[in-house]
Amino acid sequence: MNRVTLVLLLVLVLAACRKDPALQEPERDGPFPLELPIGFPFPDVPEDNPLTTASVQLGKALFFDPRLSRDGTISCASCHLPSLAFSDGVALSSGIEGRMGVRNSPPLGNVAYHNNFFRDGGVPTLEMQVIAPIHDPVEMDHDIQVAAASLRDVEPYKRLSMLAYGRPMDAWVLTRAIANYERTLISGWSRWDRWMNGDATAMSTSEVRGWQLFNSAELNCIGCHSGFDLSDHGFHNIGQYLEYTDPGRERISLLAEDFGKFKTPSLRNVARTAPYMHDGTMATLDEVLDHFASGGQPHPNRSPLLQTFVLDAQQRADLLAFLNALNDERSLDQVP
Amino acid sequence: MMKLHTRLTLPFMLVLGLAACEPDKPVPPTPIPPANTTGTLRVTLVPEWEGQPLERFVEYRNFMDYRTTVEVLKLYLGDVRLVQGTDTVAVKDVDLYDLGNGVVSKDWTATAGSWTSLRAALAVPDDLNYADPANYGAGHPLSVSNGTYWTWATGYRYVVFEGRYDTDPASTTPLVTSYAIHPGMGPSYVEFDLVPAGGITITAGETTELVVRVAVDRFFHSDTDQIDLETENTAHGNNVPLQVKFVNNVVKSMTLE
Repeated sequence: MNRVTLVLLLVLVLAACRKDPALQEPERDGPFPLELPIGFPFPDVPEDNPLTTASVQLGKALFFDPRLSRDGTISCASCHLPSLAFSDGVALSSGIEGRMGVRNSPPLGNVAYHNNFFRDGGVPTLEMQVIAPIHDPVEMDHDIQVAAASLRDVEPYKRLSMLAYGRPMDAWVLTRAIANYERTLISGWSRWDRWMNGDATAMSTSEVRGWQLFNSAELNCIGCHSGFDLSDHGFHNIGQYLEYTDPGRERISLLAEDFGKFKTPSLRNVARTAPYMHDGTMATLDEVLDHFASGGQPHPNRSPLLQTFVLDAQQRADLLAFLNALNDERSLDQVP
Repeated sequence: MMKLHTRLTLPFMLVLGLAACEPDKPVPPTPIPPANTTGTLRVTLVPEWEGQPLERFVEYRNFMDYRTTVEVLKLYLGDVRLVQGTDTVAVKDVDLYDLGNGVVSKDWTATAGSWTSLRAALAVPDDLNYADPANYGAGHPLSVSNGTYWTWATGYRYVVFEGRYDTDPASTTPLVTSYAIHPGMGPSYVEFDLVPAGGITITAGETTELVVRVAVDRFFHSDTDQIDLETENTAHGNNVPLQVKFVNNVVKSMTLE
């Protein structure tokens, strides 16, 4: 055996060891470069669902895919439109076959910082939240296992599922990916944010007066709409009705004292997220101000933080101007 | 000299190369208890209406003479244990019986020995009840595909009992008004014991069967609790008084064959 034969044999042996192309090292995934406004903490992320680029890309593709609904007509984005701060502009959303829901679709900005979800806070994680609209008969009316299986071999899901989670698409992957996309919907890019961070020119004098009113002891909006998300994320009965048809938080806690309580919404992008309240029955911010100025209905569970107040025309204009200054100046969507 | 070197090197390299091609060793399977210490416990639930096999959509008369049908009947048994005095041994964490189509048997691995009774909850144990259901694939008792999970609140309906009724025994029109009793969440968690006269003997490598007759007509009434469908027809985690009455009746409806 000569040297040439030896070399050829070695090449042959080593070539036989070459990995099957299908088993090649996967593309490399990495942390998603989440942009955060000044002062925003990095959101908590579950250990089993790191915020990676592939996971949020996968989540975004799923979020906009109507194949998550039984008849292929409704996606998450049907009721959470990017142009409306991921709300939908109607009092109650319709699901497949025009079936009407019972609550107003909430905007999704900063859900990364929430510790429970839905108007009554019934679900503790973003991942678990994903299941509800898919299974709800008046939303997507589908089975998440079936939906995931139908997309398993479809691109880009096949590639991104393996890249992000190292496993084919299933309910576990689907819930985690959509949750991660929703985590990237950060709202903190308004003129109010710039003003709070030292840009004195970012808000007009009217808007600044509105902000001062917002904080005043007389109005005490800040009592519930506090912090960088302008929400305490707590549950309050605001005296919207004397008799509620929707039990609100009581449906979850089973406590009578929680009847008619709903989660405080963030006021970020509030001018874009009409109509208002858990049932979307207030069409304008003017109506909302009228409600709070009246102190609301004397429901037994009404929050003691509510108090009547009077606004003159200038004050009302200032307050509305401030609320409009809470609109983000850029898209919430950071995923290309 | 070169040829000798080549002859020695070539087999070595070939062995090395082929060894590198050896596939990964398979992951050893999860160890199972040795067969000589375990047997199979088969628990069979037999749904009946007044002693006859329950049939969905068939019209019955309940204890108040209401025209009544059953359309869905699913129930969980959780934290299933064999009991001997103060000792218990775990048999099954949770299983789902879908009794809509009649008799259902479940086979569980059980520790060999003599036991006085079988203890179970008519519920999903708390540690499983609030876990993420996306962890469970199709076919698992806790899969969301079973239609037992409350997606809006987390947790499972311990029992799904649905049908239709008419309070007028003389009416002949199709039944329209529905009832849906879904106990779940904390207040309706109830445990019960099934105590066969001769105890329960699990023999290694063999199957022991317990047959439990479930008198569905008794879901509406027991020696302590009556449910009037006219006013007590809905519980979706709420309506705790109805939930509690209902689960107590279900437990009392079970008798060992």
